[in-house]
Amino acid sequence: MITKKDILHVAKLAKLKLTEEEIEKYLSQLSAVVEYISKLNELDTENTVPVSHITGLTTVTEEDTKENKRQLSQSSALQNAKSTKNGFIKVKAIFSGE
Amino acid sequence: MDLESLTIKDAIEGLKNKKTSIIDLVKSCFARIDKLNKKLNVFIELNEENAIKQAKAQDNDLVKAGKEIFNQKPLFGIPIAIKDLYSTENLRTTAGSNIINDYVPPFDATVVKKLKNAGAIILGKTNEDAWGHGSSGENSDHGPTKNPYDLERVPGGSSSGSAVAVRTNQCLMATGTDTGSSVRLPAAFCNLVGLKPTYGRVSRYGVIAMASSFDSVGHLTKTVYDSAKVLEITAGIDPYDATSVRKEVDHYTEFLEKPIKGLKVGIPKEYFVGGMDTKIEKLTREAIKIIEKLGAVIRDVSLPHTDYAMACYYILVPSEISSNLSKFDGIRYGSERETFGAEAKRRIILGTYTLSSGYYDAYYLKAAKVRSLIKQDFDNAFKDVDIIVAPTSPSLPFKIGEKANDPLQMYLSDIFVCPINIAGIPSLNVPCGFINNLPVGMQIIGPQFEERLLYQVGSAFESETQFYKVHPKI
Amino acid sequence: MNTYIPVIGLEIHVELKTKSKMFCQCDANYFGKGPNTNTCPVCLGLPGALPVPNKKAIEWCILIGKALNCTIPSVSKFDRKHYFYPDLPKGYQISQYDEPIAVSGQVSSHFRIHRVHLEEDTGKLIHSGSDTLVDFNRSGVPLVEIVTEPDFDNSEDVKEFLEELHTIIRYLDVSDADMEKGSMRMEPNISLKIKDERLEIKDRELPNYKVEVKNINSFRFVKQAIEYELERQKEILDKGKIPIQETRGFDEKKVITYSQRSKEEAQDYRYFPEPDIPPLEFTKEYIDSIKVPELPVQKLTRFISDLKIKEQDAFILTRDKKTAEYFELVTKKIGASIESQAIANLIINKKVTLHLSIDKFVKKVQELRAPKETDTKLLNTSIIRIIEANKKVIDDYKGGKQNALMFLVGQVMREMKGEADAKLVIEELKKQLQ
Repeated sequence: MITKKDILHVAKLAKLKLTEEEIEKYLSQLSAVVEYISKLNELDTENTVPVSHITGLTTVTEEDTKENKRQLSQSSALQNAKSTKNGFIKVKAIFSGE
Repeated sequence: MDLESLTIKDAIEGLKNKKTSIIDLVKSCFARIDKLNKKLNVFIELNEENAIKQAKAQDNDLVKAGKEIFNQKPLFGIPIAIKDLYSTENLRTTAGSNIINDYVPPFDATVVKKLKNAGAIILGKTNEDAWGHGSSGENSDHGPTKNPYDLERVPGGSSSGSAVAVRTNQCLMATGTDTGSSVRLPAAFCNLVGLKPTYGRVSRYGVIAMASSFDSVGHLTKTVYDSAKVLEITAGIDPYDATSVRKEVDHYTEFLEKPIKGLKVGIPKEYFVGGMDTKIEKLTREAIKIIEKLGAVIRDVSLPHTDYAMACYYILVPSEISSNLSKFDGIRYGSERETFGAEAKRRIILGTYTLSSGYYDAYYLKAAKVRSLIKQDFDNAFKDVDIIVAPTSPSLPFKIGEKANDPLQMYLSDIFVCPINIAGIPSLNVPCGFINNLPVGMQIIGPQFEERLLYQVGSAFESETQFYKVHPKI
Repeated sequence: MNTYIPVIGLEIHVELKTKSKMFCQCDANYFGKGPNTNTCPVCLGLPGALPVPNKKAIEWCILIGKALNCTIPSVSKFDRKHYFYPDLPKGYQISQYDEPIAVSGQVSSHFRIHRVHLEEDTGKLIHSGSDTLVDFNRSGVPLVEIVTEPDFDNSEDVKEFLEELHTIIRYLDVSDADMEKGSMRMEPNISLKIKDERLEIKDRELPNYKVEVKNINSFRFVKQAIEYELERQKEILDKGKIPIQETRGFDEKKVITYSQRSKEEAQDYRYFPEPDIPPLEFTKEYIDSIKVPELPVQKLTRFISDLKIKEQDAFILTRDKKTAEYFELVTKKIGASIESQAIANLIINKKVTLHLSIDKFVKKVQELRAPKETDTKLLNTSIIRIIEANKKVIDDYKGGKQNALMFLVGQVMREMKGEADAKLVIEELKKQLQ
């Protein structure tokens, strides 16, 4: 069953900081869901091929071309960033040893 | 001309016959918005200045070009609303969430472009469960939308604002998305026609992704004709969406008058095995009788894996959600990830768990196999029948807050609608009556790309019953 | 005291020079552009944007796979690889996990290729003072990742392999493969296993750790980095400890590797099939239609055996496809009138440019071979001067040392500033020395 350790591990992978309260709440709510979804084990799917694409489409590609109708200007590309500098987007310092 | 309860069809007639003007249409909508928006919490962002400007310009165009303009631009002058999950260029788009509360997209979703090119006028962006996560409208970071038939009840979700906007004549059509329920359920709870098209029928480009292999781009209208008219515009392959399918777009409106005599209608027996409100079951069976009266042949069909659909759904969908929400890191747009609401966090955690190392085979892969089985159920059923009819919701619109503390309960209320998304097939919700003055809807479900059949049956049923004329007293 | 056997595998990334990026139509050539001026909703990771794969990139990945003698399976697909980093706009990279485009190849008889797959490049992080800045111009550029088996056991082999791979990639004309510009990147995985003579080769297990080294941008540095690492790891193993499994950087000034981040908690990338891109299916006809041109090693063999030139010259000529092709073209056109080796010499010594038309080339050859106009008066005075100044050398020559003659010839040529026919100089000198 899903444990508190699982929640903490997963929160880290998903880059979510949770409060103690949240951890407890999600633990109990998700335990119920995880138990429910285990229902699928009742089905024998040994010889079933998983759906790869529900439309049955394969090999959809685009030609290599220089025509770009969706090119964004620098200002459009940056218009929603909270912090920019000289055309770059600024982020919290990452040490170069990262 | 009564501008308070128009359909798209009426509006176009009125414009063609000069009984009304585009500016009158648009202004009347904004008057309704002014009056009702606060009470119902429908719109997150309004586009009033642009819409008025556009309406005036288009009135001039109409004078110059005459009725012929409707041949090139079939929705010319029609006021519409866009679900806030769709990217609209230079118009704030929040997905109902606080994280991108001030996000302004630099581009239009393909469907938005198509609707604009067809001459429609966008009045604003509608409220929704944040990111599409929900079937009641209660998960919006901007507060829940209210059901106009009973302000203490939910309008259904996640396209909650869109449904109420159309139902209360704040616009004539609103776009939605349906990943598990989100067009059909609000349509059912608000007495509307709601289309969930075949996955791949309508481009997803520009629509903020919830679950990439489930999201269907649909819309809500008062009548079947209106719905068919809009699909003629939105359907079609898009080179920007590799999952959109190259299939000819039918003239859906031309199928509406065709009689349904001899059409085989399947009733899935697994959908009627208890757990449903008995009054809803009774109403649904009465509706089926009407369809039979209209000439259809009713048959029982079996969808044997129905019981496993929810489990399958709640593995695959949160997995894809957790992945799709990874792009919200606060760097190029939006706030930090702490700002996610509780439901989003819940789904991200669940989805990350089911994809994580050691669990992928047991959950994701297993669910992908079960997905095959569920699709097969429908494929097999459609060998015997042309369409399937089923209830949309096992319960009436419930009270706001009633299911909030039990997510699993909330998830299980999608039992009739989710399997359709798992199979990637189309489904049309049509109004099928009232219980305690609350709307009840019914699904008309068909094989992939057979939307014209859905419209054919829906239209016949609608002509016979005319439930769309029952307006909320608001 | 233990003896160790190095176990080295390589991961090489090659940026393709397609016109547009891997999943959108932005320019794949981002070099030198102002920051964030080469993006669109797709490669910037805006909500709602969707990827559509570049057909050419897929074709070129197959081409690289075939050139490396890989098998090209008839089905392939893209997968999402999840991790958070500021230069990764979607929070996942679209890459390939369990169904790569090419598998199980070989380069020369010893070095096997594990797989070749296609993915998208990330943006770039720049450190400016205390700020970290991001530029997404490079985000979405097509990358081919080539992974070898851990077949290498010394740094020289690695260097030679990488140089050959570099030449092959350039032959295919799919990438500039310029290490300084970052269009070819190499990461060796290095570990040591203890040599136990008692065990059969197949029973010798692979080491239970490996160290990856990044940020190496020349072949010479790869060799140095490997050598440093092997020494460092040996010291740790000698102490009875196991080197930490980690990623290290290379400092080219200090010629050392340094720790960057530990891989002890292995990254969980949560791979799953990319739902926005339907799977790829390749027919046999399609795969067959992608033709691999003659590769360096084949040309080399042919130049030696058929065109009869020396191995080291053939090697030089075949390092660049255009040069090799030009050489072959000229040799064929000129026919037997001029030796192929002579033509080779001219090209190698850069006496001609590769743009010269065949007729001009022939003229140039004749020009260079024709006896040089020699000013006989000047020649005479030069010879007299040189003889005067080199009495000892003349004695050596008269004593039987042929080299001494050539020395004098060289001196005369220098006096004449090269404007003299060598044959004539030798003749005249001999005359004068009698």
